[in-house]
Parts: sequence; structure tokens; C-alpha cells
Amino acid sequence: MKSISLYVDNHTWLTKVHPFTKLTYIAAAIAIPLIAGKLWLFGCCILVSLCALASGKVLKRAIPLIAFSFTILLTIFLIHGLFHQGNANVLFSIGPLRFYREGVLYACRIGLNILNMLLSFAILVLSTRPSELVEELEKKGFSRRFGYIINSVFQIIPQMMGTMSTITDAQRSRGMETEGSLLTRAKAFLPLISPVVMSSLINTRERAVALEVRGFGSKSKKTYLADRPAHKGDRAITVCLLLMIAAAIVWRVGTWLLSR
Amino acid sequence: MAFITVENLRYRYPHADRLALDGLSFCVEKGEFIGIIGENGAGKSTLSQALIGLVPQFYKGAYGGTVLVDGLEAGKTPVSEMCRKVGLVFQNPFNQLSGARDTVYEEVAFGMQNLGVERDEMRRRVREALKLLDIWQYRDRNPFDLSGGQMQRVAIASILVMQPEVILLDEPTSQLDPAGSEEVFAAVDSLARSGITIFMIEQKIEKLAAYCDRILLLKEGRQIAFDTPRKIFSLENLEEMGVQPPAFTRICRDLGKALPDGSWPVTEDEAAGLLREMRIRPLLQERIPGQPGRKTGQGKGQAADLENPGTEPLFKIRQLGFSYTPGVPILDGLNLELDARPTAVIGQNGAGKTTLVKLLKGLLRPVSGTIFFGQEDTSQKTVAMLAGKIGYVFQNPDDQIFKYNVLDEVMFGPQNIGMSPEKAKAEARKALETVGLWDKAGENPYDLELGERKMVAIASVLAMDTDVVILDEPTIAQDFAGRSVIAGAIRELKKRGKLVLAILHDMDFVAECFERVIVMAHGAILADGDAGTVFAMDDVLQKARLQKPSVARLCRRLSGETGELRVCLTVEEFLQRNGGTDLLEKP
Repeated sequence: MKSISLYVDNHTWLTKVHPFTKLTYIAAAIAIPLIAGKLWLFGCCILVSLCALASGKVLKRAIPLIAFSFTILLTIFLIHGLFHQGNANVLFSIGPLRFYREGVLYACRIGLNILNMLLSFAILVLSTRPSELVEELEKKGFSRRFGYIINSVFQIIPQMMGTMSTITDAQRSRGMETEGSLLTRAKAFLPLISPVVMSSLINTRERAVALEVRGFGSKSKKTYLADRPAHKGDRAITVCLLLMIAAAIVWRVGTWLLSR
Repeated sequence: MAFITVENLRYRYPHADRLALDGLSFCVEKGEFIGIIGENGAGKSTLSQALIGLVPQFYKGAYGGTVLVDGLEAGKTPVSEMCRKVGLVFQNPFNQLSGARDTVYEEVAFGMQNLGVERDEMRRRVREALKLLDIWQYRDRNPFDLSGGQMQRVAIASILVMQPEVILLDEPTSQLDPAGSEEVFAAVDSLARSGITIFMIEQKIEKLAAYCDRILLLKEGRQIAFDTPRKIFSLENLEEMGVQPPAFTRICRDLGKALPDGSWPVTEDEAAGLLREMRIRPLLQERIPGQPGRKTGQGKGQAADLENPGTEPLFKIRQLGFSYTPGVPILDGLNLELDARPTAVIGQNGAGKTTLVKLLKGLLRPVSGTIFFGQEDTSQKTVAMLAGKIGYVFQNPDDQIFKYNVLDEVMFGPQNIGMSPEKAKAEARKALETVGLWDKAGENPYDLELGERKMVAIASVLAMDTDVVILDEPTIAQDFAGRSVIAGAIRELKKRGKLVLAILHDMDFVAECFERVIVMAHGAILADGDAGTVFAMDDVLQKARLQKPSVARLCRRLSGETGELRVCLTVEEFLQRNGGTDLLEKP
């Protein structure tokens, strides 16, 4: 089955880091530059994320994410560089287009922010098994049903894609062309989609029964196959990250008080 | 008081007119192995759901009477509590998977996690169950990547580990190869001996007769009888209830050989014991071709077809190779020719049978080698182009049904391959009559039972009037009547000179309906010949995890070593050879 999860099981140190540590990192990477309000801090965080991804051997997998975000970044850059409210000083011009310093700076801030968020999330997504994250959340009291929904999405979507290809085969076997002109494809839509919908509906009902039968509705406290104790390193990193967030707050409040 | 007591149980599904269960009353003791039989729609699955409380708690509807399991009332105790006592294994393993676990190991542990079983205990039980069902080697695989038979074992394991005191199994072996289903029966039997109460719904009558303590016979929701297998299978009007007695019973009944208590034998042992006293002729005066020193085409399949050299082959397969992932060949250097004789492909789960027929149909492309259909190389054609010549009925009818009435559904294929609406309608009618569903032509296919939907799928391919009809596991979910209909359709197709190629796990059905049998294992052809020859090859059958048909086993037992002579394979053959009571030579 083709997995839709982006997780790469490559046994690097990054996959061994506790999911909560990665969550804390996301919080820190997003909060610190925002609280401190300094542009260079975005750069620092991005650099740290890139290093982490590279040493976890998943930098290559992150490139599509970055590439995708670039289209948005470019739009932001154009709009704000050209038309930002506070535009006053021309930075450079290309033909008749004049880019302003204020707008470009503002776009940089948004752009770096987006890139920073994406990369820090990429660390979590590319190096954590979804079910592991959910299990750890459940252990901390996260809803069992909600956890199931998240987990099942990763199983059921690929499985529906598998059903879809079986259905395509079954209908092609009955002489239906599925490739060709737009009209042919449009004609093929109903014979392909109705069995998918119907069998999903039937399956959903049966799966609900299956979960009941396997004690999903049970009130007893759930147990787990594995513990995921936080590592010494996990604790150290988490403490550092929290201290850094605190430092950023102190610095920001301090400078604000001083300025008064 | 009995361990399980059912009293005047009545139930009607919401929006249904008739009762699905109508006044059932019976008691079952701890550790009994109970079989539930009856035609499709008799209420077997509904009863199993009532025993765990899904009926009425999940399905709602009108409910009356009581079901007590070890003092718990199934109708009122929440299913999440009942499931500690009662486990249910579904007919379709695919729907039993939680859909939230990445590996077989975790999947099997899912139920125990919910019930809060300690970790070490969970690990111990998972290990034990996976080994018992011979799926320990798949523990790290994604459960959805397994074949139907393997998935079914995962489903059984995942209920076993919850250690219920009662286990309900709804046709648990329908997807399994013969050796696999024998293993499941043996495993379930040992559970019954350890004090677990078993209810098993099953179409494999011979197996039920051998293993069950008692059998519950249902028809249209009513309890017809609840007694020992001998008493049940000695009932006069059993066929009217949609149940065929075991082959051994049919033989002894026809020969008039009853047990001392007046009932008919139901197992191989009983029948062999009785028939040994008579001078039975289990052997035919026919030699097994190629014996001795027969050619089995070990490893690479040889298209050795010595008996019918004159018939023009429809398919010519040369050096066929295929793999889903490079480096892991499913088929390798396979050679085969197929002519118009009805042909069965048998072999264990995962032997490459479905892959082979998908290649023939053009749904998959060969990695190496060629497939010629007549004079044409199939790799040059699209599936839709071949559709008019080669028909393929998929295992799951729900993968193709999309119209709102049966007739339109069946006419879809014929119209696709260019038949006029009138011709398509005529063909559809003929096909629906063949499968016995013409009276339901106006109904919505989704209102039909699974067995009937499968018949709709078969009809929708028959109506295309193709030269070749490929059937993938046609007998799953079919009762006695359904099997007879399919057997009739195969005979009809043969008469019209069409090639029927079927993948099957039901050896009795193979012996009854197919002239040529191809045995596959690990992507290669182990044996190829007529049913009599193939079922005489003990080493091949063992290697491919297959079994002889019931009658062949009985004959083998009666005759000892068969030497070069063929044994009877079917009840009809046996009775013809032994000619009824009067013609028997008295000892």
C-alpha cells in the first residue's frame, strides 16, 4: 500500500527524538522571532531547522515543501514590494516597476515567517510516525476517538485509492474506456465514482461494528504496546527551548520597559 | 443453568417486512462447538450479531426474547462490555481491520489496548496467536497489504488475543486455501477443547460435520433443528432447506448404508468404517496418464497437454515473467497453453493465480515474455479492446455495481462493446436467466444479498458473450443453491464452446465442474492435467497446500494404495461406479 504519510523511516537520530520535543521546537521556532521581533532571528531559526533536516537526512524530502511555498512568497513579495501602504523609499526598480524599501522589508518578514514555520513543521512531519505522535498525545489524555480519526485517515485514504484502481480495472474489463478525450473521461466518471462512494459507505458501517466488537467503546483505561520515555537529550533540548522562549519574552518586555 | 441461553429470540431489521430471526430458543454448554447452517438469508449472520448484542444495540429494529451469555443479557449489556466475553470474526476480513494500525503486530494488539490488558501480557498473546495462525512472519507488514487469506488470519488472531469465552465465526475460511482452512478448523477445535464455546457459520459442510458437536439449522429466520451432525444430516428434506448433506452422507444414503442408530454417516471416518464391510469399488478402470514417471513440469510450467493435441489453443503463453516490485518476481518464465476446456487454477493464497489471470486479461502488462490470444499479442491491446473477447468477474461485486437496477447493470458491459440496445437486452436477459435472477431484473442491486450481487456481477460479464470467461473465486459467499447455479453456468458456457477459467479454493467444486486443473505455487505451475490426474499427485498437492476432494479422500482410504488406477472424485462418479444397492457384490 502506498502510504500518504511523509514520514521517512531512516533510523537517524531525528526519528528517535520524542514527538513532544519536536512540538516544543515548533513552538520555540515560531515564537522566539515573533516575540523578539528581530529579522535576523528568523534567519537563525531557519538555519537551525535546515541543519536538523540535513543531519536527519530528510532535507531532500523538504525541498518540495519549500518549492511550493515559493510561489506564495513571490506573490507576497510582488504585492507588498509594489503596493504596501507605507511605501516611501524606492529600493530598486525594474523597468516601470518600482520596489519600495518598506514593502520589501514587510514581505521579507512574512516570507521568512512562513518559511520558518514550514521548515520547523517539516522536521516533525518527516521524522515522526503519525501513529506514534497520536499515541503519545493519547497517553497525555487526548481524546481516543479523535486520535482514531487522525490515524485512520492515513490508512483509509490510501486504501480508498487502492479500491479506486480495482474499480477502474473492473469497469475497464467491462469494455469501458477510461482514457482519451474529455467526453470519454466524463462518461467514465459515474461508473467509477459510484462504487467508490457506495463501498465506502458500506465499509464505514462495517468498520464501526468492527471497532465496537474490539472494545473501542470500552471505558477501561487504555494500555500501550510501547513506552516512549523522554530521552536525556529530549529533556535537555526541551528545557533549552523553553528557556530561550522565556529569554525572548524577558528581552522584549525589558526593552519595552526601558523605552518607556 | 446453561452457559448460553437463547429464549424465543425474535428480531426485525428497521424498514424490513419480515422477521430476520423468528422465535429461536436453544441452550449451549461451555466448550461446545456449534455449527450454524442454512441458505443465504436464513438469518445466520444476524444470529451471530444477536449473540454479541450488535443486534439490537447497533442495528436497532424490533427485538424480542432474551439472549443470556454467562448471565449477561446480550440485548442490554453494552457491546464494549460484551466483547470481553464474546468475540466475533466477520466474513470479510478487510472490514474487520481497525484501519488505524500500521503493522500486523499492532493491529492484533488493538483490541487488547482498548480493554486495558497489561503490556507484557499483550506481547505474549500477540506472539502466541500469530504463531498459532502461521502469520508471525508478516508481523511487520501493513495489514492492508496482505492477501485475503492472510488478512483473514489476522482478523481471527485479533479476536483470539482478546481471550473471549465465546467466539463467533462468520464463514471464517471462505477466503482461505484448503490447507489454511483445515488449519483454522483445527485451531478452532483446540480452542473448543480448552473450554471456549464456538459458533461457526460455514458452507463447508464436510468440515462442520467432522468438527461440530451440534448444528443449528435455520431457514428464513426460523429454527428448523438443533441437534448432532448425524441427526441434522439425516433429515429427509435437508435439500429443501438449501443445505446439501456431506458427500459421505449422500453416498451412504444412496447405497442404503445406515449406522446402527438409523442415521447416516457424516464424516469420512464413519463412512469408511461402514463401506469397508461392503465390496466397494473406489477405483475407476482408468489409468492415471503418465504413470509411472509422470511429468509434473516441476518449477517451470510445461504446457504438457498430451490428451487433447488436436484442440487449437486460445492462449499461448511463453516465458511469462511479472513482478510488482523489481527484483521480487511473482511469475518467472511461465509457459502455458489454454484451450476451450473448463480450466481451474488452484493453489495456496499468494501463489500468483490472480496475477496470472490479470495478465491474461491485459489488466497487468508482462515484464518479460509474451501472451498470445489467438493470433494477437495481448500486450498491444488495451483492456477495453480485449473486453469483447475476454470477460473477467472480479471477486468483490461491489467494485463494479453502479446502476440503480439489475438489468441496466448487466446491460452496461454489452453496450460498451458495441452491442445494440436490443441485442444487449436480449443477452442480459439470457445471462440473468442463467444465474436465476431474471425475476429481480428491476430491483436495485444494493438491495440484494451479497451472494445475489455476486450473481449480478457474473451475469454482467456473461451478457458480454465473450470467448473467454475468467472467474475469480466465484463460490465465495454462495450457498448450495448458488453453487449449483454457477456449476450450471459453467456447463452452459462449455456447451457454447467458451473457455471458462476459474480460480478456486473449493476442491469438491473443482472436481465436479472442471476438466482441466492447473496447480500453482510460488508463481510456477506444479502440475497441469485432468482432475483425476492432478488429484492423484500427493506430493504436488502437499507442496501447494491443497487437499483432495472429499470423495477422493474416502476412496483412497477404502482402496489403500491406488497404484496406477484413478479414484472416483465426485459423489456421482462413485455412485455410478458402485451402481446403487442392488448391484453391489455382497461380501
